[in-house]
Amino acid sequence: MNRTYSILFICLLGGLSAYAQDCDIVVQGNVFDEASQSPLAYVNIFIQETRTGTTTDDDGNFSLENICEGHYHFIVSHIGCDDEKFHFDILQDTILKIGLSHSPISLETVTIAGQTDSYGNQANLSVKRNVIEDNSNQNLSKIIENETGVHLIKNGSGITKPVIHGLSGNRLLILNNGILQSGQQWGNDHSPEIDPFAADKITILKGASAIEYGGGNLGSVILSQPKRIEKEPHLHGQVNYIFDTNGRGHTLNARLGKYSPSVAWKVSGTLKKSGDNKSANYFLNNTGVEEANFSVQLEKNWNEIFTFDFYASTFNTRIGVLRGSHIGNLTDLELALVQDVPFFTEPNFSYEIEAPNQQVSHHLIKGHAKYFISDDQFLEAILALQINNRKEFDQRRNERTDIPALNLAQLTFNSELKYTNNFSDDWRFKAGVQNIGTDNTNNPETGILPLIPDYLSWKTGLFSTLSRSINNTSLNLGARYDFEDQTVLTISRTIPREIIRFENQFHNASAVFSIKSKITDAQSIGWNIGFSMRNPAINELYSNGLHQGVSGIEEGDAELQVERAVKNTLEYKLVPNSNFSFNVLAYHQLFRNYIYLNPQDEIRLTIRGAFPVFKYQQTDATIYGLDVSSQVTLSKSVLALFKYSYIKGQDQTHNQPLIFMPPNSLFGSLTYRAPKAINFIKDLDLEDFEIEVTNRFVFEQLNFLPEQDFTNPPAAYNLVGLKLSSDLILPKYKIRTFIKADNLFNVSYRDYLNRLRYFADDLGFGLTAGINVKF
Amino acid sequence: MIKNYSVLSFLAIALFIFTGCDKDDPEITNEEELITTVNYTLTDEAGATVVLTFTDLDGDGGNDATIVGGTLVANQRYLGTLELLNEAETPSESVNAEISEEAEEHQFFFESNIADLSFEYLDVDADGNPIGINGALTTGDATSGSITITLRHEPNKTADGVSDGDISNAGGETDIEVTFPIVIE
Repeated sequence: MNRTYSILFICLLGGLSAYAQDCDIVVQGNVFDEASQSPLAYVNIFIQETRTGTTTDDDGNFSLENICEGHYHFIVSHIGCDDEKFHFDILQDTILKIGLSHSPISLETVTIAGQTDSYGNQANLSVKRNVIEDNSNQNLSKIIENETGVHLIKNGSGITKPVIHGLSGNRLLILNNGILQSGQQWGNDHSPEIDPFAADKITILKGASAIEYGGGNLGSVILSQPKRIEKEPHLHGQVNYIFDTNGRGHTLNARLGKYSPSVAWKVSGTLKKSGDNKSANYFLNNTGVEEANFSVQLEKNWNEIFTFDFYASTFNTRIGVLRGSHIGNLTDLELALVQDVPFFTEPNFSYEIEAPNQQVSHHLIKGHAKYFISDDQFLEAILALQINNRKEFDQRRNERTDIPALNLAQLTFNSELKYTNNFSDDWRFKAGVQNIGTDNTNNPETGILPLIPDYLSWKTGLFSTLSRSINNTSLNLGARYDFEDQTVLTISRTIPREIIRFENQFHNASAVFSIKSKITDAQSIGWNIGFSMRNPAINELYSNGLHQGVSGIEEGDAELQVERAVKNTLEYKLVPNSNFSFNVLAYHQLFRNYIYLNPQDEIRLTIRGAFPVFKYQQTDATIYGLDVSSQVTLSKSVLALFKYSYIKGQDQTHNQPLIFMPPNSLFGSLTYRAPKAINFIKDLDLEDFEIEVTNRFVFEQLNFLPEQDFTNPPAAYNLVGLKLSSDLILPKYKIRTFIKADNLFNVSYRDYLNRLRYFADDLGFGLTAGINVKF
Repeated sequence: MIKNYSVLSFLAIALFIFTGCDKDDPEITNEEELITTVNYTLTDEAGATVVLTFTDLDGDGGNDATIVGGTLVANQRYLGTLELLNEAETPSESVNAEISEEAEEHQFFFESNIADLSFEYLDVDADGNPIGINGALTTGDATSGSITITLRHEPNKTADGVSDGDISNAGGETDIEVTFPIVIE
């Protein structure tokens, strides 16, 4: 969901008032929909300091009287919108003009007023801050789950990995604060190590290729972005606490920030602890999560032309993996598949996290400088360092359980230099150079030959984009070149063990063209075509050994070729008025040398029994689909939302389905929002009271071959959710509260992309309650 | 502009530092947990022995395992002893001790596709449940087939039939699963 808020202020001098008067200032205003320019009724305007508020009339007008001179914080809220807060000094009678774009469909593309958005016409959508706050007990992937085109690969509820338009892992870029997230992306049982609470917005770019972000992406981009610190001279912050009944989880978040001309700062922290989750009928033992995160953001403007910001974050987690999902060999798996209740299921709840589990920490430090050469030109430089350490523990003999079975340390260095020039009113040129160095090292203490070898890789990318907006059309053209050098040190599987050194060099090129046009006032259409190349990643080339997470022997192929893809997206948007919007995005991606893990006919006999063998192979493939979403305002206070994602993947060489493509899904929600504040008891008003019913239906994956998997995909399922939320207005505070029920009818189900479906049901009924205090 | 240059030079330095280093050879892991060899020694009442062997010296990948089966006499009782070795270490190490130490968490299971071949346990852990390092095997009439020996880690030894050697309800995870071809004459 995406919206831009441009709050325009037009301040009129109070004509005759020659000197400040005590408390009879009038603040008037008008709120309008930015896309259609039509007035917005029933928008709440609230002044925090005076605790007075009003609602706009049918013409979008409001008026607040008897205001004293002073500085105030205004809160503007509307159904389906993030609360928007701004700080304003009131000295005399004032008129505020507030433009609000409030559809869940990105309207910024409809308002192509002279400026190209920074994502270069890409189909994009974003998750707003209050959704992040209400779901801060979840991980990043889970928060974007209900967006169109997004699916999740899971390994239980604690480990989730986003899939966008069928692509994930090495093909999906995740940027945390402008820095390409670096970790062990290859593993389906590795989730991105980012604390979503530190972000103000999570944006998903679905276009062919985000040229600027590079790294050989054939897929989409997820951006987790904090906002610039607001020019707000007072200390502000928030405390957020969430409790889940399923897993008995506690989440505590806090954030504090202040602006001052010398330095602006913001800190954010998260603590989480939860225990065993429960499916509809039994506990999922050893599925607890512990997490502790902290981040600091600093900004400094030396003068109008030079700004600097600094960001540091640390993310630390320990995640239990369902005990019953840890298996020894193919026989164990076959036994587990026929079990109704997984092995090791106990009747009691526990916070204990035992083996198997994962302990991961990720640290980021980043500096970003921006220098304005002139009003229209600027130069940006970024330097960042990331340290990722992943330890995975398994049940092992003789107290070796305390020794990790996998222990990888990855050090990544990013640098970037970017030049932007808006060289006339409607042209924009951007060029940049990026370097990414990655040093990946296995700790030999594991006593197990590593699945992923030690390596050092160095990537250099050059890109340039040119965009132009004329009248109702915007054009964007971009090209990119990447060079990658890999030094890989593998250990032989034959005796005597030897170190085999590989040196690889790859050259990749990519290009993108897009055009977006406003056909009528209410309609726009956008087309995006991109070509890109991705060289095989280290795991695809040199994996060798037993991948415990997937209970198979994985073998890389050192002869793999560069993967190429052409992606087309076509997007149509209709926003005839502020009460209705409709968006459809069709995409088609054609691959040459698509790299995938192909199950082999061969069963490898080891002393531990038989294991299936998976080899990285290449084929020609297509992935295509449709993302549809629509929002309807049924009455002044009722909003309906509908989303549908269709996707299909086909291996063209072998004329068979691609494995593990997400099933189609349907999401709907109905929200009632009380048009006015409700006086609950004497000093307590309920503002923005909302009741939301959600329904998520996931179809059965029918496009598969039985020999591609250990068992057939699970049946379709339908989950209903209910959420009540309100702001409590107390004499001194405004407190947001919510309570929601997930899987309301305690449906027992399994999800195709959840690896635990071989062993156990997915999550059952759970209640979540949250409280958020902002000050 | 000075700041501009300082940023650039910082970048250049960082780039130099990073590209300047080469990757050292990794230390080759000491695979002390590996089990490379299973020897199943069958001794008849007269003291004659037949040894069934499974050897995979290089672990999961690499070269295929070597399996040596054997010939047993019909209608004969044999004492069976299992020996697990890690021959990747020099000198080779016996894994039996590790299993005996954690006997409550381990159990061997013996299965055969020969109907009248029977197994019995001759050892118990501290809880009085079978382990299977020492046992006995009794053959029936002449035929041929195979014996599968499975070592389960953390089985549920109290589940139905498990202490009698029935693996179906044992759970846990497999540390060893080897199959030997045998001929009964």
